[in-house]
Amino acid sequence: MDSEDDDFHSGGTGMESDEGDADYGFVENDSDDSDDIIYHRHQNYTILGEHDIIRLQMEDINRVSQVLSMSRDDACILLRHYKWSVNRVHDEWFADEESVRKAVGLLEKPIEMPRSREMTCGICFEVYPCNRMRSAACGHHFCNSCWEGYIGTSINDGPGCLMLRCPDPDCSVAIGQGMINVVATEEDKKKYARYLLRSYIEDNRKTKWCPAPGCEFAVDFVLGSGSYDIICKCSHSFCWNCTEEAHRPVDCRTVARWILKNSTESENMNWILANSKPCPKCKRPIEKNQGCMHITCTPPCKFEFCWLCLGPWSDHGEKTGGFYACNRYEAAKQEGMYDETERRREMAKNSLERYTHYYERWATNQASRQKALSDLQDMQAVQLEKLSDKQNQPESQLKFIIEAWLQIVECRRVLKWTYAYGYYLPESEYAKREFFEYLQGEAESGLERLHQCAEKELQGFIEAEGPTKEFNDFRTKLAGLTSVTRNYFENLVRALETGLNDVGPSSHLAACSRTSGSGGSISRAKSGKSKVVRSSAFRPGGPSRSSSDDGTHWSCGRCTFVHVNPSNICQMCGHQRQTCAHPSDNQ
Amino acid sequence: MAAQTQASLLLLKQLKDLSKSPVDGFSAGLVDDSNIFEWSVTIIGPPDTLYEGGYFNAIMSFPENYPNSPPSVRFTSEMWHPNVYPDGRVCISILHAPGDDPSGYELASERWSPVHTVESIVLSIISMLSSPNDESPANIEAAKEWREKRDDFKKKVSRIVRRSQEML
Repeated sequence: MDSEDDDFHSGGTGMESDEGDADYGFVENDSDDSDDIIYHRHQNYTILGEHDIIRLQMEDINRVSQVLSMSRDDACILLRHYKWSVNRVHDEWFADEESVRKAVGLLEKPIEMPRSREMTCGICFEVYPCNRMRSAACGHHFCNSCWEGYIGTSINDGPGCLMLRCPDPDCSVAIGQGMINVVATEEDKKKYARYLLRSYIEDNRKTKWCPAPGCEFAVDFVLGSGSYDIICKCSHSFCWNCTEEAHRPVDCRTVARWILKNSTESENMNWILANSKPCPKCKRPIEKNQGCMHITCTPPCKFEFCWLCLGPWSDHGEKTGGFYACNRYEAAKQEGMYDETERRREMAKNSLERYTHYYERWATNQASRQKALSDLQDMQAVQLEKLSDKQNQPESQLKFIIEAWLQIVECRRVLKWTYAYGYYLPESEYAKREFFEYLQGEAESGLERLHQCAEKELQGFIEAEGPTKEFNDFRTKLAGLTSVTRNYFENLVRALETGLNDVGPSSHLAACSRTSGSGGSISRAKSGKSKVVRSSAFRPGGPSRSSSDDGTHWSCGRCTFVHVNPSNICQMCGHQRQTCAHPSDNQ
Repeated sequence: MAAQTQASLLLLKQLKDLSKSPVDGFSAGLVDDSNIFEWSVTIIGPPDTLYEGGYFNAIMSFPENYPNSPPSVRFTSEMWHPNVYPDGRVCISILHAPGDDPSGYELASERWSPVHTVESIVLSIISMLSSPNDESPANIEAAKEWREKRDDFKKKVSRIVRRSQEML
């Protein structure tokens, strides 16, 4: 967290000295700052292009070759054997050179081929003059065409060719790139070089390829340095640890479970959602393929109900519109009384329904994120230029719009994963669930506000006749919303990652959401932000615990309301006071 | 006859050498004289083993890129052995292409190498018959019996040895 703080400041000051444009005051500052944050905040990794990879590999090989004074070929074989770790090569080599040589297949002194005019190839048994024969350091000689076949077969078998040994079964001398470059066909040489490059990334513990389809960048990650989130230059964001798309605040295990669940159930789920309703009594999904609204569930349930309002059929008769239209349903729908969500919540007890609830929302946010991503691309490709013409503003001054869209994309991603989080949050933890759902709701509405502003309000300025005065206000508003939303989501992620440890009456998150909720002035947002960065809202031993520890107060485990009286029932929600967790409360 | 490739030339040479100077323990020839890639070998059960006295027929099929890839060997006679699949295919490490084991668990000397010949392969099979490896069995039933009910195993093997003699 310290490094974030540093970045935050250095970004700010760097910006001021660079442009020194005081017109937009801190707003401009803020948007530039956020640029820094989006791209460089957690720089515990480096994105590598092919040239970088080749350069790094060369450097490592040269280093080993110099320190151990061996050929670059041998150094390469040695490094590959020890998964490209220079330190490990050095450690092993200096600990026991002989056994390393044996394991890797490097001879101390090359054995010369016997000097005779003609020799027999050990593979094809043909006799050749010695200038058409070749051997590795071990002196086992074979003819050029047998070498080519041997090496070619191995290269076409896959990356195993990188650990090729002499064809003689009793000899384990390694065959390096030098021999390949002399004997193999051009095509095979290229393949070999490719495998060698791939091995440098794939076998190395601290590098990985970006998993996006068609992306050729690799990532060099500083192990043990906190956040696993990586944003590749191709704009794909993924998790270093499990290489699934980035999924903070949910951990890798939960993601794996969720994805597995989706892959086995999502197809069924989609069909069931689109084509059926659950029986109000037994919750089994029912497909209505014909007939009237009077449904009788199959035995043993046999519940009779109305397909439209899902109420018992016994309540239906002439007064409710009879068989084909249910007045209760129509009327309730018109008055907005038909509480779909409450019905849903009740049904969520059923596991299928419960899963559906979360899956639907997870998938909706996923779709929404895809849409936002394509909107962002459209913005960068077309709309920004248009806006720049209309409002007479250089494109460099419109970066705040891209910021806003990047933030929307990021927030959709986080929001999406909060639904997987919610699915795995135990039902029994009432207080956490309630707090979580509150935070999630706030996040949804905060993001909606930002999305609305970036989409609808911006459209007005793009379609405007000419430059409008309000544009500066709009800039202030959108930049402000972006920053407020970012803060809120950052706190949300942090709170969820710590497992909502701080469920308590005066959680900082609630305070933060109040700031964003009130749509307060930007300066408040700003101060709120620096406060967020510096002070950890989630102190060990939150207020709830300390107040219950002193024996004079207790806070309700469900709604977190603080009581000073000795009663055992919560005044707010009527929840029974839990005393077993805090024996001191009994005094 | 098909074009003379490196593989067919090499196989032809081996066939000539083997018929000129036969090796103890087996005999080899072609299944069909027009196809140098299909060999028929008869392996004599090695002395002082359970398989002693048996005559086991097998077919060796060579790939077009022999000797860079190994042939496959399949017993056509009935066989009961931990390292022979129930359908007769022989499972020994020298018949595994080097690419099959990219992580290098098997030693280089245990994997296929182009220096292997019909002779060295058959000698490996004979040595497999005298010392089964029940660590990575191809025929799990046979391996279990070999490990746990050696008497039943012996009985079954002597039955296939007898049958192989009757087939002659």
